[in-house]
Amino acid sequence: MTMPLLKVDSLTKLFPVQRGLFRKPIEFVHAVDGISFEIGSGQSLGLVGESGCGKSTTGRMLTRLMDATSGQILLADNGNPVDVAHITRDGMRTFRRRVQMIFQDPYESMNPRRTIFDTVAEPLTVQGIGTVTEREEKVADLLRLVGLSPPETFLFRYPHELSGGQRQRIAIARALVINPSFVVADEPTSMLDVSIRISIMDLMLKLGDEFDVSYLYITHDLAVARYMCDRIAVMYLGKIVELAESEELLSNPLHPYTKALLSAVPVPDPSFKRAPVEIKGGIGKAINPPPLCRFIERCPIATDVCHNNDHPPLEDKGGGHYVACYLV
Amino acid sequence: MTSNGKPLLEVDGLVMRYQTKRGQVSAIEDVTFTLHHGESLGLVGESGCGKTSVAMSLMGLAADNARYMSGEIRLEGENLLALNEDEMRRRRWKSISMVFQGAMNSWNPVYRVGDQIREAMDLHIQPKLSEAAAKSRMARLFEMVGLNPSMLVRFPHEFSGGMRQRAVIAMALSCDPKLIIADEPTTALDVIVQDQILKELKKIQDQLGMALIYISHDIAVIAEVTDTIGVMYAGKLVEYGSTLEVFHRPRHPYAYLLLSSTPSITGPRRKLAPLEGEPPNLLDPPPGCRFHPRCPFVTDQCRTEDPPFVDIAPGHKVACWNWQQVPVTIGASA
Amino acid sequence: MTDTLAPPSPGVEATLADPLWRVRLRLMRRSLKLNWKLFSANRIGLIGLSIIAIFAAMAIAHPILMATQWSAQIYHPVTGYDAPAVEKLVVEDVTDPLTEIDISTARIQLNPFIDLGDTVSIRSQPAPPTFTGPTPHYLGTDPLGRDVLSQLLYSTRAAFSLGVIAAVVTVFIATAVGSASAYFGGWIDTLLMRFADLILLVPLLPVLIVVSALFNISLPLLGLVIGILSGFGGTAIILKSQALQVKVKPFIDAARIAGGGHVHLIFRHIIPNVLPLSFLYMMFTVTDAISLEATLSFLGLLSIPMSWGIMINVASTQGYLLSGTDYWWLLIPAGLAVSMLAASFFLVGRALDEVVNPRLRHR
Ligand SMILES: Nc1ncnc2c1ncn2[C@@H]1O[C@H](COP(=O)(O)OP(=O)(O)OP(=O)(O)O)[C@@H](O)[C@H]1O
Ligand SMILES: Nc1ncnc2c1ncn2[C@@H]1O[C@H](COP(=O)(O)OP(=O)(O)O)[C@@H](O)[C@H]1O
Ligand code: SF4
Ligand code: SF4
Ligand SMILES: [Mg+2]
Ligand SMILES: [Mg+2]
Repeated sequence: MTMPLLKVDSLTKLFPVQRGLFRKPIEFVHAVDGISFEIGSGQSLGLVGESGCGKSTTGRMLTRLMDATSGQILLADNGNPVDVAHITRDGMRTFRRRVQMIFQDPYESMNPRRTIFDTVAEPLTVQGIGTVTEREEKVADLLRLVGLSPPETFLFRYPHELSGGQRQRIAIARALVINPSFVVADEPTSMLDVSIRISIMDLMLKLGDEFDVSYLYITHDLAVARYMCDRIAVMYLGKIVELAESEELLSNPLHPYTKALLSAVPVPDPSFKRAPVEIKGGIGKAINPPPLCRFIERCPIATDVCHNNDHPPLEDKGGGHYVACYLV
Repeated sequence: MTSNGKPLLEVDGLVMRYQTKRGQVSAIEDVTFTLHHGESLGLVGESGCGKTSVAMSLMGLAADNARYMSGEIRLEGENLLALNEDEMRRRRWKSISMVFQGAMNSWNPVYRVGDQIREAMDLHIQPKLSEAAAKSRMARLFEMVGLNPSMLVRFPHEFSGGMRQRAVIAMALSCDPKLIIADEPTTALDVIVQDQILKELKKIQDQLGMALIYISHDIAVIAEVTDTIGVMYAGKLVEYGSTLEVFHRPRHPYAYLLLSSTPSITGPRRKLAPLEGEPPNLLDPPPGCRFHPRCPFVTDQCRTEDPPFVDIAPGHKVACWNWQQVPVTIGASA
Repeated sequence: MTDTLAPPSPGVEATLADPLWRVRLRLMRRSLKLNWKLFSANRIGLIGLSIIAIFAAMAIAHPILMATQWSAQIYHPVTGYDAPAVEKLVVEDVTDPLTEIDISTARIQLNPFIDLGDTVSIRSQPAPPTFTGPTPHYLGTDPLGRDVLSQLLYSTRAAFSLGVIAAVVTVFIATAVGSASAYFGGWIDTLLMRFADLILLVPLLPVLIVVSALFNISLPLLGLVIGILSGFGGTAIILKSQALQVKVKPFIDAARIAGGGHVHLIFRHIIPNVLPLSFLYMMFTVTDAISLEATLSFLGLLSIPMSWGIMINVASTQGYLLSGTDYWWLLIPAGLAVSMLAASFFLVGRALDEVVNPRLRHR
């Protein structure tokens, strides 16, 4: 079997919960707790879950904005796996060319004192790619591609002179300017107006195809994940509880949490009657959680098996539909 | 659905502009709608289209720089715009109350939630309730919104986001209003919590027979809670009708595109129709139909003449010259 | 305090054929223009700026006057000497030393035949303003017979250079310390911040008094010392907190993902966003430096030839400090100059605050 573009194995991030000034941290938030998945070249995976379940933390580890506590991230380089966690200086440079990120907040993710040209050309500039004129050409090309033309009207403006949608287009241009093979997009449309979202999502899909980019698309909106992604992973308190092809996941959810999540999503059709949501309460925080199933407190179908065993492993229930639950 | 008898609320040709240094922001432009007792109306539109401005005007709480150019807001026949601040204060919370946008973050962190609700009640219920009466009323309110009454003595930081929002709703209900306005009450919440709160809200509305105005930018949420829907664009009401009708046969191009560009988890996976361009600057709205720069159905008439808001079917109003051109099926085929 | 920094000016349109440096020049010009518009909308700032301009004119005027009008022998601020003749009434009990002279003194100094009620013309130092004669002294002379106006003008230059040195040094150090401390955190932060606390803990004035008593302190050196103390102390802490706010912005993450190293992040992202605030504190440093210098030289602790503080010091050591308003020209011009110049930089700082800090705008 060939190596997929990205292979994540038992990735974990624990944040110490500080206790007093001199006391050693004894409690940890298990923000991401041993998750594993793969993304093939040109594929996109949606990471879905409620606020605080560890989606952004996962994205930040994959882009090396944050070090993992443990686990492995392997990125294929000409078919050879490169361990992202123990990368050399040289390796880091290649890594930064291959992995990029699009952020949630188009207002805060650009330096207000730098022009659009400076912002989009930044990856080229800091990595010393091309001459100034070549960079200018390249940036202009990308601005055209993301629908900001003529580029001359945008190149030397500042972010505050553009609307939210335009800025997010700039963010996409910046992420794609060095032809990366993998892009983490952390809720790129959630701060945009509904009417602009689709055009930004379409743009990402189109350019993703054109540039052969794989996405990890982080969102709390299942409908958006369905629109954007080939496969969807559902996270709950640091664990992936279900992972499957998008349509399969939506039409045949197996994990009780996925079922609840799906039936809670409002549907833009007043004649549609949703199934009642079975679970109560809200998501908590996994601070030194017991070794049981993470979902046990809210699970409507938990039995003795669940109470007597560790967190269930993520298993293939056939056709690449992975679920972590004893009762499936 | 539509109860007979006198309407509870009539908004008639309301025009409101914010006066700013850079000019007039035309935030409400000729908005007209009627609401009966026990009805629910959803106001939907993208941010900045004037939803909150309408709500604040109904409450008599619009910003200082708001000027009403024309129109009336009649509550049970009485024009609220003609009332002075004192008279308005007496009606606020008792006749109309509101869950403000972002209110769940506005609890004062140093006081117990119960005390803060109590204070609001004391301000608005004359004569003041006795200690015991107030306590039992607050307990009943908390139960109604799905909170344990023992939470009344807790501080806001001990509440989760969803619980804080429930408490806000309890506070809005504290004076038995006839109309409650909820401005984006679930926007910051996760879907499961949102679902719980929407259910609670609907249940309470049925129980108490209140009228509800539900404001959201999320058309899917509106589909869940209201029986009538008003679609706003750039300060104008562009379509108004029963929720079923508007969702299944939207006649205004903006409403149509909004629905076509809303991703859903149900139905076949289809290509969505993007809405190109961006909402106009209300300091200088486009002439003619305000939607014309983004409208795929635009004709020359639209660029110069403002379409009237007319009945195209009983109870279904649209402001568009070319509403007949709008396809009947939702989808990317536009 | 999330958005302490005003957005820059509007951008410019440029064609791809324009060389980059020319575009940047146009951007800079645009930004200067906008900032000037914001600044000049504020009366306080304009008043401050005009006062500074007046002082600048004074500083420039001195060497010109010395070269063309004033002879060094008489008007040199340190070595000049002149004792103009003043008309005085001879009396028995002097009530007003400016217009009266004690009869015995007059007989000793002039001639023994002087009588009560005579008017005598006597050379005196200090002498009140004189406007006529071959060597007029528009602000009088000091107790050593030196022209006060010349001293006043001459000292302006010193005050300016002191302020500028102190301010530049402060900004340089504080920006570097604040940015490094915020960016790297860890032991670098701990070290720099403990040092800042230490400096804050030690009161500036007494330390300077001790230091200047022990060593010969010249003006540039004083500017350097004030700049270093303020740069490593309070200003560093303020700029660090600003840099911390910048550091957590997503655009820093974006720059890291673009591949930017420490140098790129600090110089391209953090410092440009901290700099406006630095300039603001630069103004306040000038204010501090000018008043400090006045205090130190009033105490006679600085080895500099002449300054506003020294002018007051001379008046004081010669016993004119408490003589009320009679010898006003010995105190008021210098005192006023110190406070006006210090205040003017403060006013400019206040106005800059509104440019730098958009939340203060259009209240
Ligand atoms: N730097 C940090 N220090 C301590 N805890 C953190 C830190 N960053 C995140 N956490 C915690 O880790 C958990 C996961 O956070 P994360 O930001 O990944 O969630 P998310 O799924 O992206 O949520 P959202 O949908 O709100 O963006 C949360 O409990 C959060 O409070
Ligand atoms: N106090 C105010 N002064 C000036 N303009 C305002 C004020 N409040 C709102 N606006 C403007 O009025 C328009 C409508 O705003 P709002 O009613 O808050 O919209 P929504 O609730 O639909 O997002 C927007 O363009 C907004 O910027
Ligand atoms: S393992 Fe048990 S507790 Fe966990 S989700 Fe499955 S049924 Fe529920
Ligand atoms: S009036 Fe014209 S521009 Fe306006 S919505 Fe209708 S078709 Fe479009
Ligand atoms: Mg997140
Ligand atoms: Mg609003």
